[in-house]
Amino acid sequence: MQPITISLNGREVSGKQGMTILELAREMGVDIPTLCDDPNLTPIGACRICLVENEQNGDLLASCVTPIETGMVISTQSERVIVHRKTIVKLMLASHPDSCLVCNKGNTCTLRRVATDVGVGMIEFERIADAVEIEQLNPFIERDLSKCVLCAKCIRADQELVVVGAIDYFNRGFDAKPATFGDVPLEQSECTFCGTCVAMCPTGAIMDRGRSYHGTASDEVETTCAYCGCGCSISLGLKGDRIIAITPSKKGGPNNGTLCVRGTCASDVIHSADRLTQPMLRQEEELAPASWLDAIEAAAEGFKRVKGLHGPEALAVISSSTCTNEENYLLQRFTRDVLGTNNIDSSARLHNAVNRAALASTIGIMGANSDLDGLEQSDVIIVVGADPDASAPIVSYAIKRAVKYCGAKLILIDPRETGLSTFADIHIRPDYGTDAALLGGMAKAIVDEGLLDEKTVVEKTNNYDGLKASLSKYTAGSAAIEAAHLYAKANSASIVWGTGLTQHAGGADSVRALINLAILTNQTSGLYALEKECNDRGAFTEPLQGFSALEMIEQIEKGAIKSMLIVGENPILAFPDSGRVEKALSLLECLVVSDMFLTETALIADVVLSSSSFAEKEGTYTNFEGRVGKLNTAIDPIAGSLPDWNIILKLAEAMGSPMPFDDINQVSDEITALVGNESKSGPASFAPVDYVAPSDDTNKEYPFKLLTVSDLYSLGSGTSISHSYRLNKYTSEVYVEIAEEDASKLDIKDGDQVKIATPVGELTAIAKVSDSIPTGTIAIPQTLPTGSANVLFDITLDNETKTSLAKTCNVSLEKVVSNG
Amino acid sequence: MDFPKIKSEAVADWERFRNNQKTHILVGTATCGRAAGAIDVLDTLMQKIEQRGIDAEIAQVGCMGHCYAEPLVIISKPGSPAIIYGYVTTGMASVLVDNCLLKDDPCLEFALGALEENELIPTIYDMPRFEYENRLILRNCGDIDPQNINHYIVNGGYAALESIFKMTQEDVIDQIKKSGLRGRGGGGFSTGQKWEITKNAGGKSTYVICNADEGDPGAFMDRAVLESDPHSVIEGMIIAAYAVGAAQGYVYVRAEYPLAVETVQHAIDQAKDMGFLGQSIMGSKFNFEIEVFRGSGAFVCGEETALIASIEGKRGMPHNRPPYPATEGLFGMPTVVNNVKTFATVPLIIENGADWFSAIGTESSKGTAVFALAGKVVNTGLVEVPMGTTLRNVINDVGGGVPHHKKFKAVQIGGPSGGCLPESALDLPVDFDSLKEAGAIFGSGGMVVLDEDNCMVEAARYFLDFTQKESCGKCTMCRLGTKHMLDMLQEIVNGNGKMEYLELLTDLAEDIEEGSLCALGKTAPNPVLTTLRYFHDEYEAHIIEKRCPALQCKNLIAYYILPDKCERSCDACVGVCTAEAIFSGKKRIKVVDQDKCVKCDTCVAACPPEYNAIIRMSPASSVPETEKRPEKAKK
Repeated sequence: MQPITISLNGREVSGKQGMTILELAREMGVDIPTLCDDPNLTPIGACRICLVENEQNGDLLASCVTPIETGMVISTQSERVIVHRKTIVKLMLASHPDSCLVCNKGNTCTLRRVATDVGVGMIEFERIADAVEIEQLNPFIERDLSKCVLCAKCIRADQELVVVGAIDYFNRGFDAKPATFGDVPLEQSECTFCGTCVAMCPTGAIMDRGRSYHGTASDEVETTCAYCGCGCSISLGLKGDRIIAITPSKKGGPNNGTLCVRGTCASDVIHSADRLTQPMLRQEEELAPASWLDAIEAAAEGFKRVKGLHGPEALAVISSSTCTNEENYLLQRFTRDVLGTNNIDSSARLHNAVNRAALASTIGIMGANSDLDGLEQSDVIIVVGADPDASAPIVSYAIKRAVKYCGAKLILIDPRETGLSTFADIHIRPDYGTDAALLGGMAKAIVDEGLLDEKTVVEKTNNYDGLKASLSKYTAGSAAIEAAHLYAKANSASIVWGTGLTQHAGGADSVRALINLAILTNQTSGLYALEKECNDRGAFTEPLQGFSALEMIEQIEKGAIKSMLIVGENPILAFPDSGRVEKALSLLECLVVSDMFLTETALIADVVLSSSSFAEKEGTYTNFEGRVGKLNTAIDPIAGSLPDWNIILKLAEAMGSPMPFDDINQVSDEITALVGNESKSGPASFAPVDYVAPSDDTNKEYPFKLLTVSDLYSLGSGTSISHSYRLNKYTSEVYVEIAEEDASKLDIKDGDQVKIATPVGELTAIAKVSDSIPTGTIAIPQTLPTGSANVLFDITLDNETKTSLAKTCNVSLEKVVSNG
Repeated sequence: MDFPKIKSEAVADWERFRNNQKTHILVGTATCGRAAGAIDVLDTLMQKIEQRGIDAEIAQVGCMGHCYAEPLVIISKPGSPAIIYGYVTTGMASVLVDNCLLKDDPCLEFALGALEENELIPTIYDMPRFEYENRLILRNCGDIDPQNINHYIVNGGYAALESIFKMTQEDVIDQIKKSGLRGRGGGGFSTGQKWEITKNAGGKSTYVICNADEGDPGAFMDRAVLESDPHSVIEGMIIAAYAVGAAQGYVYVRAEYPLAVETVQHAIDQAKDMGFLGQSIMGSKFNFEIEVFRGSGAFVCGEETALIASIEGKRGMPHNRPPYPATEGLFGMPTVVNNVKTFATVPLIIENGADWFSAIGTESSKGTAVFALAGKVVNTGLVEVPMGTTLRNVINDVGGGVPHHKKFKAVQIGGPSGGCLPESALDLPVDFDSLKEAGAIFGSGGMVVLDEDNCMVEAARYFLDFTQKESCGKCTMCRLGTKHMLDMLQEIVNGNGKMEYLELLTDLAEDIEEGSLCALGKTAPNPVLTTLRYFHDEYEAHIIEKRCPALQCKNLIAYYILPDKCERSCDACVGVCTAEAIFSGKKRIKVVDQDKCVKCDTCVAACPPEYNAIIRMSPASSVPETEKRPEKAKK
């Protein structure tokens, strides 16, 4: 297409057809002020600040929405333009409060900057007082709409980026404002407090509530968020040694301008008053503060003593998915070289082993092999056993954008109704643990109905005959056949799955069943295994000969393991059967725990080492896409804490075998040198699945199926994020979803207190009667404000992958206290 | 489809309706008639006829244009001329049945005129207005039963549609282009050109939308056409759809027009049943469906991009143009959006040819203009005159001038987006361009006449209040700019205005005109700008003298009882005063206690006309000193 040439401030410039005047001007280095423009949002031409003059005909054009046309003579600085810009800013300021001096937006306020830039002098308009109440019920977002200039960035962020639909324009004329449906407070709306709008608001109208009146950030550091497996690029705004603002990185990243509530609350955790500020040592049954020197010495002595008495195999190490790749590498080396044992595993096994096993045995990859853009560009998306609204918010945003704005079809496979249900074209609700059968049925439909290029499949893959033979035992219902057609006929199809698929017995087979679908239709580049913690993908390594994490608990009970180093993990909450785990760990002769907080596990440790948060160190996380996110030090380690990598180096030195690293970059270099290309080349192999239908093992005593689900306001074992006072304030109760029919049978009403029990544990919760889960089922979040649903589970290991089956168990349910 | 057969059946139906062997009664039951009680009149007529056992046919027709005289009844009896009766009440309806139908008394005292030449009374066509009127768009309005498609067919309906299937799409567009037809919604863009752009935009699908979201206060042209002759609009839409290759059309009509919604829906169903809509229209290969979409009362949805957003299920808010709907409209596809009257004109052009049409009107504005005459004018109602007719002709000759011997002050053309033009502008021809020069806009056809009792500052405030409240709020200029203007006007009518406001108002008005996103904002300041231009003295009087020349602005007036004129023993004003502000003074002459008066004007109405003792005075301070209310004696 021919470039279009226009005159811009007297200069001949050309741009592509369809380009706006503003885009071209920016490309040419000409600054045009704007309030409502954002590169991630559809331009709407609302604020009118970006008006420019077409001197050819005297028209004033909003440059953000006006495409360039041949022959335009644009002036961005003509007298008329300046007069208009001044008028607009004056109009805004005349109904804007005079609270700039105390406004938290302060020096980052775009309205104030534009006002200064265009040189607004005296305002001749009468002031219009706008008595808007500042809304401050929820702990996350504070709205003061008297400062709103109705640029509608918040509305567009809500609708176009995160696709929540909590707010839209409300009222007309001067009373127009962004509001929820019916103008109810945010917490009564669909709002997920993702904070995307907070970061975009050009004025102080929408602010982060937790950090109001903390002043303006003087510096920003880009880093990677640690609060789920998405690895969002975030920017930490600093004032002195405090993080006072968290915004999406301006450089994009997987989140591309969006955020979620957990990410916005990261600073609460970092600056939590509960942080350990010094190491602790057990002295006469009590943990007492100790110096770093004494603590490291005591830990090293403990390991040496156990090793001396029982040999190196009595030592074991558990690392965490929240540790960086570099730290995990260091721990591997520490365990093998310094301690001299192979007993090292990571909590990542609980989340990641199933996917790794299934993917490796079929298409030879370690996780998702495409990025979120690929997902968003798919025309058919299958989501199975995942609730990304809660577990991986930015994935949910991408799926909803694909459906709402790009016409993608969504096939949801989940027994529950989730936030994606209303976006789904087909919602199949299979029984628990029957996903492999359903997916097998779809594969059968694809083969039977010839929805594949069989010749190519035969040529390019292994074991097609094996697969075909295995499919005979499956049948497909009409919804599954329809889904199979949609999936097989798509130009670009993706499958997203999560713990709903993997945490059942035979989870790896369920994953294989869906990989088979992808191989059949040549869609293997659209496989998205969601990860739970920030570095699940990077932290997981197949143990070489040693015991896996949960086997270690058994080994302690057997007396084989006598001492343990646990870094960044809280097994008592993170592993099933909390009571048993706690009992086992307390048998240890020497337990050394490195953590930011005095966790349940740290409380029974002999040595507690105070570690630093992700904002206080360098390193990398690998997110679910396989993207390596860089951590940058935003603040110095909080007084008395040290980054885990530093602790490991100190321990090695104290053990008498110093490791050859002075800083973390040297570790990165060594990893880079060692790790080659992780993907396997060669044809994909079908993996016939030997599906066994789960038997209904509920019994009279424990008649309900408990389902653990993800919760947006908590994460993992809850150990770290539970120290966000805002998240705590928002979800301080444990809620259990109970199907309507069951609730009425047991005479349970909304708000009643109920007791949930299994042979190994019990907990109380508040009933939430719901029509979104099947009868006979109750659902609670995996992570609870008061602990973890793991107290209800026993340690049942998946045969193949040694992960725990912590998705469902049989429970009893009874009413304890009626609500009112 | 056998069109000749359909036509001959329609003729037979029409003959039954209009033959000379039987008595026929037509009642105008469009909204204007209903509002005046036409349904009660209709019921009375039907009951009476049944009671009396009279063999007569009663039919409902749409708006005849004489809205001032509603309810209107036409009686045509064999052997006597058809006579049109106005201001008919149920009582009159009974009398008409008994005297006119049962006996041979034509009740000429109720008659407005005859519909045909006769020796008894003059015809209504002898009225001066018919010298100026040329009813093209309103050709069938009030003559036919809008519920009966046959009536439309008999009067030439769907003949144009039949003929286009022999033409190419380009031929149709050429005809419309050549005719010089310009959009009747107010924009005045060439209809043929719009269709051509739409056709050439090459979308996956194309849409045709009829904009019937008539929101201007005082405008009711589109409603009347839809209620009275819906098929003319539907036929126009089908022709447009054929020309641009659209398969789906929408009539976007306000939900506040329930009768129009019902009538159009009924007409669409009928047209579909007969094969004028739907699959293989009139036996051709052309398919087209029309759906009625009810707007929810936002004025801004009359703006085409907002209207489209509304159909798409979004909040009705305009977006920047370009892209114009013609290239990227409904669901991102090329879309023709035309006004009701534009579509109603189209079949006439196809039938009579572009040359016939372009011979009517002026050089740049072809055809006729329909106005809804309202306000201080004798003949309120619908008028249709050729483009180029002067405002004076429209108001004085067609409209019958200002009633009650009051003085004409201004005419507001184009609704709240239009301007107030003074006496000196009355010789302007009405067409798209002359009005613009004078500061008004052609608009969609609202014409509100104001007389000496109207305060022009208040008029400007009223219209701006409307546009401010109806601003969608999207762009700063319109949302905040109009609010500041409105606040200044409010201060002026309250008597707190400052002279610098006038310059500020002008500057801000110009900024808003140039800087707003859509036409609502761009035209919102027109009433203020035109009143500032033509009635500057009134603004000055309000600000400097605190005086409202029209004696309307409550804060600037006071009530005074002329002692010489007061009939002391009458007490009418004392009785009606809700604020107990009037008391009997010395010699029982009534006096207004200014501290208590709430200026409700009730006393003026109560004072018998033969005394006419109560007057309004402005500024309020000009009221002569009056005696004080005697303190009540303590008991």
